Amino acid sequence: MSKIPILINNFCKRNISVTATREGKRNFRKFVIPNKRGSVLHKKKQMTEDREFEIDKRGVRDIGYNLNGRFVIVPEMIPEIIVPNLKDFDLKPYVSYKAADVIQSEFTPSQLFDAVYSKKIVTDFKQGKLDEEGNPIEPSEEESLKPEEAIIRAKQTGSDIF
Amino acid sequence: MRIYGYLAKKVGDLTIKYSNFPESYVKKSYEQVYWKTPAGYPQYKKAQVARKKYRFTTNRPWTGQFRQQNEPGTLRKKVFVEPIRDWTFFRGDRVEVMVGKDKGKQGIVSQVIQERNWVIVEGLNTHLRVVGKDKNFPGITIQSEAPLLVTSDVKLVDPESLKATDVEWRYTEEGDKVRVSLASSRIIPIPKTAEETIDYKSKELYIDNIEKDTTADAATKITFAPKLRTFEMDIMEEMGIKEDRVPAKSYWY
Repeated sequence: MSKIPILINNFCKRNISVTATREGKRNFRKFVIPNKRGSVLHKKKQMTEDREFEIDKRGVRDIGYNLNGRFVIVPEMIPEIIVPNLKDFDLKPYVSYKAADVIQSEFTPSQLFDAVYSKKIVTDFKQGKLDEEGNPIEPSEEESLKPEEAIIRAKQTGSDIF
Repeated sequence: MRIYGYLAKKVGDLTIKYSNFPESYVKKSYEQVYWKTPAGYPQYKKAQVARKKYRFTTNRPWTGQFRQQNEPGTLRKKVFVEPIRDWTFFRGDRVEVMVGKDKGKQGIVSQVIQERNWVIVEGLNTHLRVVGKDKNFPGITIQSEAPLLVTSDVKLVDPESLKATDVEWRYTEEGDKVRVSLASSRIIPIPKTAEETIDYKSKELYIDNIEKDTTADAATKITFAPKLRTFEMDIMEEMGIKEDRVPAKSYWY
């Protein structure tokens, strides 16, 4: 039985490949080599500026920026969690099964507009304090607010989504 | 993909309702995911290689016994379950057994297992089994009920004539969906025991956990007042935090 593989090896094996070559396509593509994975060479290269992949921060946002190779920490970027005093606070983590389901309609921006501005507009109209275009002659604080000023106010909280 | 997700729902609605767990928790408790595409990388579509075929039994899907019966690597023969569009059997229903040695007897449903179209009737279709048999101990004989198939072995009972009938779901004039017995057109109401779960027998009888449960009044109280502030601005006003610095201009692309 052991003589059979030797016999096969002595045959002449010369064939022509008729299948297409796999140019650069590898078997499995969903390999992610985050920070601690990969060979030593790969990890060394990741530490330099000409790294192959971006450093995976895993969802954590930087608290500063890179300047001339140094990392500058910006204290305002460190998140500060503000927790109010929960003494005499009625709402608890769970809701009792006895509570009925509360179904509310959506609170739309137009409803917010009505709540904030509509009363003054109506009183101004009745007293004739609106000019030809309909703008108020004596604008209140909210009515004289410009969009840029509003965005600045929203950003002063430290939120960057505006 | 959404239709497949709906059709592939293995665990029945009644099972989840009885458990009082969110559906996501029940799924997580019994699913066996072997591999998932890496999360947080938008170039890779969300996909997973997970077990699809489970053997559902009288043990509930979140229990340890279910996990033991469906250990990774165990392959069981496929159990063919007739898909039922409108489920008609609930806990506490009066039901008549049509097959077996208890044929003709009526009983009350004590458990509903939707995944196998099973219903366990109290005291009927029983068999004896010996528990805890030892060399020195003869074991305790217990009478345990066997499940009955909803489609063939069991029928609902008409409330007045007390006879087995076929049942249909119909709408009343008010618009409520009710079960109607086809023999006499009488409405079979859904029993009160059907709303029982692991946590309570019925919602009114539930006893609140004082430390962790919000009371019904506190949960339904309306404290919202519309203001021209963002969420963060509102909190800063409430807490008395003052900020005069103006942030530098930034742009979104």
